[in-house]
Amino acid sequence: MKKSYLSLKNLSRRPGRTAALVLLTAFIAFSVLGGSIVVSSLRRGLNSLEDRLGADIIVLPSSAQSKVSFEKLFLQGTTGAFYMDASVLDEVLDTPGVAAAAPQTFLASLKADCCSVKIQVIGIDPEKDFTVQPWIQESYARDIGEMEVAVGCSVEAGVGEIIRIYDERCRAVARLAPTGTGLDTAVYCTMDTMNTLLQAAESKGISHKITSDGDRQISAVYVKAQEGADIDQLNSYLNGHIRKVTAVRTRSMITQVSDSLAGVTRTVRILIAAVWALAVIILLIVFAMMTAERRREFAVLRLIGMSRRALSRMLLTESLLCSAMGALIGAVLAVALVLPFTALIESSLGLPYLTPDWKTILGYALGALLLTVLIGAASSAFAAWKLSHADPGGALREGS
Amino acid sequence: MKKLPAMVVLILSLGIMIGSQTFLAPCVHEDGSFGSCHWAGQMMLGVGGLLFVLSLFACLSKDGPVRKGIYLAMMPASVLGILTPGTLISLCKMNAMRCRMIMQPAMIILCVLILLAALIGFLMERKRA
Repeated sequence: MKKSYLSLKNLSRRPGRTAALVLLTAFIAFSVLGGSIVVSSLRRGLNSLEDRLGADIIVLPSSAQSKVSFEKLFLQGTTGAFYMDASVLDEVLDTPGVAAAAPQTFLASLKADCCSVKIQVIGIDPEKDFTVQPWIQESYARDIGEMEVAVGCSVEAGVGEIIRIYDERCRAVARLAPTGTGLDTAVYCTMDTMNTLLQAAESKGISHKITSDGDRQISAVYVKAQEGADIDQLNSYLNGHIRKVTAVRTRSMITQVSDSLAGVTRTVRILIAAVWALAVIILLIVFAMMTAERRREFAVLRLIGMSRRALSRMLLTESLLCSAMGALIGAVLAVALVLPFTALIESSLGLPYLTPDWKTILGYALGALLLTVLIGAASSAFAAWKLSHADPGGALREGS
Repeated sequence: MKKLPAMVVLILSLGIMIGSQTFLAPCVHEDGSFGSCHWAGQMMLGVGGLLFVLSLFACLSKDGPVRKGIYLAMMPASVLGILTPGTLISLCKMNAMRCRMIMQPAMIILCVLILLAALIGFLMERKRA
């Protein structure tokens, strides 16, 4: 108890030096925890995107690619306004190797009463749909009905709340789990509801590139291949046999996202490693300088009877206290700065970003705390060892 | 050193005042209209102004008990700042909107820091007394 009291007194006697050590270790903990949360969120986002897409191939009008890139289509929620004839669905269903096909109609740039934000309304066919319906059924056991909508988790509308779109009252019946992609900002409804919304828009003089007779036009067909079917071959077949459409393999889309993600993850990891290497070097220098500066103080302590072991322990206790304090501050700062700005990070990166649950974050925080404290202690261990083998008499004579 | 918490509050409240109208400002709509988040921004300007004046008084005051009282007054004001965006005044309904993405978390963090600074200031003044 007395020994740790001495360490505490040493730390409080030199507030500047202590603050510098605490700040340095806080920086290590901040970079490790912040970086881990970001990397983990990106990984979870990609996994979620893979789970959520559900389809093997997406068939879009040929004009779609000139209007919006396919990655943006799902990552940033920019679904755009492109349409094709609904007969494409029948042609896709007739294609050998297709197990299921579900149409979707995108209605871009609809203004909701909430905040003039461009809510993406996506019309689905609950009977045929296999992409969104399983997610809706997690929170709503029935099919969504007339003037009912399922909202993405980024739309702030609770279940049972009324959303007004073109002054039409739509009841939110389900709130979808987060995906960390543009799908979170979408509102899903049936094709009938979409037609009603389009009629409401037309009555207000707002025209879209789609008429209220929406059954005739669709934006995309999501295709599930039969078990064992060659998906590449099926993709080529769809591209070759159905006119004015582009079939895209979701796997290639996800691979592109995954490549971008790998780049970001690699950069974050390199940055963390660089911060660590730099911090370890600085800590080693700081402890070496600190020990050199305090040689006479340690020599006096040795001469009044403090053993080498006790002296080393005192120095280690000092570094442990500084590291623990710094690690705690760094971890709190990382959580306080990274978590509240999740939406901003997601929008800045333009990649699927899904924050881990609190248990995982707690695990990362504990790991970062432990690593930072260990690195602080390890950096001072060399200085403590060197100190314990120094000649106290020589140290005192040097100063005289 | 004894006025350090007041100076910290002074800087942070200035950040709230300037931020609420500039880099942390709520959503700007294309058609020039504004939603409820605009009023949350205006309220933050008011809360920031109140905290700025209080911290200025605390910096200028030479009387310890007066500073202690001012620190006490800062605490509910900062709690008001924490509760204003999103709880007392509703924001836009999309998480991807600027008011939810930038203004709300930044204002809450700034007000939590002010609350902590005021608490530390109060405890320091109490210890000194």
